[in-house]
Amino acid sequence: MNIETRLAWRNVWRNPRRTALSVAATVFALVLVIFSISMADGSHEKMIEDAVRLSSGHVAVSGKGYRHSMTLEQFVPWDGRVEAAIEKADSVRAWAPRISSFALVSLGDRSHGSMVIGVDPEREAGVTKFVSRVNEGRFVDQNPGPGVREVVLGRKLAERLGAAIGDEILLYGVAYSLETAYELFEVVGTMALPDPRLERNLTIVHLDVASEFYVYEDRITEVAILADSAGNAAALRTELESVFAGPLGDELELQDYEEMMPGLVQLILIDDAGMYIMLAILVVVVGFGILNTILMAILERTRELGVILALGLKPIALFRMVYLESMMLAGVGLAIGLLIALPPLAWLNGMEFPLGGDLAQATEIFGMEPVLTFKLIPSNPIFSTLTIVVVALLAALYPALKASRAHPVDALRSL
Amino acid sequence: MIARLPGNTAPAVVFALFLLLGPTPSVASIETDLSLEPAPDGIDAGELARKAENNMRSERTYIAAKMTVESPRLSRARVVAFHSWENSPEKKSLIRIDAPAKDKGTGFLKLHPNLWMYVPRVERTVRVPPSMMLQSWMGSDFSNDDLVRESSEIEDYEHRLLGFDPGTNGNVDRPAYVVEYKPNEDAAVVWGSIVGWLDVETGAPLRQDFFDEDGERMRVMRFSDFKTIGKRHVPHLWSMTPLDKPGHSTSIEVTEIRYDADFDSDIFTTRNLKRRD
Repeated sequence: MNIETRLAWRNVWRNPRRTALSVAATVFALVLVIFSISMADGSHEKMIEDAVRLSSGHVAVSGKGYRHSMTLEQFVPWDGRVEAAIEKADSVRAWAPRISSFALVSLGDRSHGSMVIGVDPEREAGVTKFVSRVNEGRFVDQNPGPGVREVVLGRKLAERLGAAIGDEILLYGVAYSLETAYELFEVVGTMALPDPRLERNLTIVHLDVASEFYVYEDRITEVAILADSAGNAAALRTELESVFAGPLGDELELQDYEEMMPGLVQLILIDDAGMYIMLAILVVVVGFGILNTILMAILERTRELGVILALGLKPIALFRMVYLESMMLAGVGLAIGLLIALPPLAWLNGMEFPLGGDLAQATEIFGMEPVLTFKLIPSNPIFSTLTIVVVALLAALYPALKASRAHPVDALRSL
Repeated sequence: MIARLPGNTAPAVVFALFLLLGPTPSVASIETDLSLEPAPDGIDAGELARKAENNMRSERTYIAAKMTVESPRLSRARVVAFHSWENSPEKKSLIRIDAPAKDKGTGFLKLHPNLWMYVPRVERTVRVPPSMMLQSWMGSDFSNDDLVRESSEIEDYEHRLLGFDPGTNGNVDRPAYVVEYKPNEDAAVVWGSIVGWLDVETGAPLRQDFFDEDGERMRVMRFSDFKTIGKRHVPHLWSMTPLDKPGHSTSIEVTEIRYDADFDSDIFTTRNLKRRD
């Protein structure tokens, strides 16, 4: 250890109480920043996960123009080619074929327009949460017998229709063949969904039943695909793009969740912006804390610094010493902060804590499950630590300059 | 560096571009599409519109018709036969489907502003909810809303004479006055504007173009096969082409039309809707 380092280390602990307070502030700030970011990362990942598992997965494959028109007109040819192509992609966790269209749903003198989605129950369970969201009755049967037409309704839609399990409801729409499509369906279950719009507008039937109802033959409207991990949605899309290159791909379009749900992306951006502004304020306050500590340390040592300068220490060495003090102060704080923040976060990582009361309601408005989750991404502690290091470097600039520019004679005379 | 084109090649270049790009489906404004001659003085657009409406409608009208729907999806056109009764002052109408067999007996009852539907095979009467209004009616390019919409082409619109179409430029096949119908602000109209071609000689409509609020042409409706009924010149073939759905079209062929027809007002009830006749 050279003389500057030793001097600096001693100087840091010359006033242990002041240093401890300053270190405590740094620790507090770092822990708060890391926790806030991991909470935001956790909730954003959860938001995306919840949203994609209540809609069309991370990436949806549909007929060209489908997202614009949302009608049966644009379709995915379901003759095994698309299926085989998807199976070739590595980052696919699960996929589910769907036939979606709009139809009138009616019981007694009540009627509503609803999205009617035909699903393969087993495949759908791997992609979305519709199957596990059944709060009453059951989901549609995996193997509907001939002439069996079962339907699961969103809870609010069932309420509005006054439909109970066992009731026969009428579905009326227009088939792909442009014939009228209408049949009576037996209500076998209702789904409680976190998104009220979905609860009012969702009707689920079996894929084969929908295919027959809409006279859709060997077509489907979309394939919902889930990436093997949330962060892999973009990679999945790129992979699918290469898998679908060629004549088949020309008939199809790929959309990722960011394109399908621009509102969600914006919500996350706004949420992030608010958080980072708060954190920036906190870090700036900590920066002033460090500035204060170092400046005080310099001012009360003016005489001493004068002596050192008079003995021939170069101003640049003094500058370095003050900087080292500041770095040590921040370093101790950051080390302790990381020790405090990381182990519990590593343990909390991915765990979900249910929220209650108003907070729960507020999150449900956004279609999220009311839970609190933490997600520790390596970039979070790295980014947080570096930010505080930079702030400490900036904070030390003024005291270090002041110390190194002191004139030995003036300094000796002071105090 | 781009070589400067001689002045007189510019129109040729524009024309070549036009050939390359083809006619664009959207037009920025209505007028740009029309090369009309000025109409003679003293022609009143409102009067033309009134004449056209009176030519087409009466207080009580009975129609029997065949609707043909064509679509790239279909190898054979879908044909829907129906007959309808309308009482226009009371804003009531009843439509009964006769064919195809699957829909035989299906009834639609409009009691402004509601639309009821009766499906005989499942014996259900359904009020068509607002959220279903923009859905296709019987698989055609008309929507349920087209059935229910109760707007008067006279009272709900401002009329402006755009000019005179000699009927030689392909828009229509007879000389016509061209009138723009602009909906009043409080009118329940989904269109941004309608441009109508009204026969100079008979006053009957020959063609109507429907524009959305951005001025984009959405549908073209053509009237043809005119027959004289009393003082009226009634088109017996109405062909509609939705411009946002390539290859689709719906035409209605009127097989019988009776103006000032004699029927009771009590046919417009949900109870009568359930009768299968």
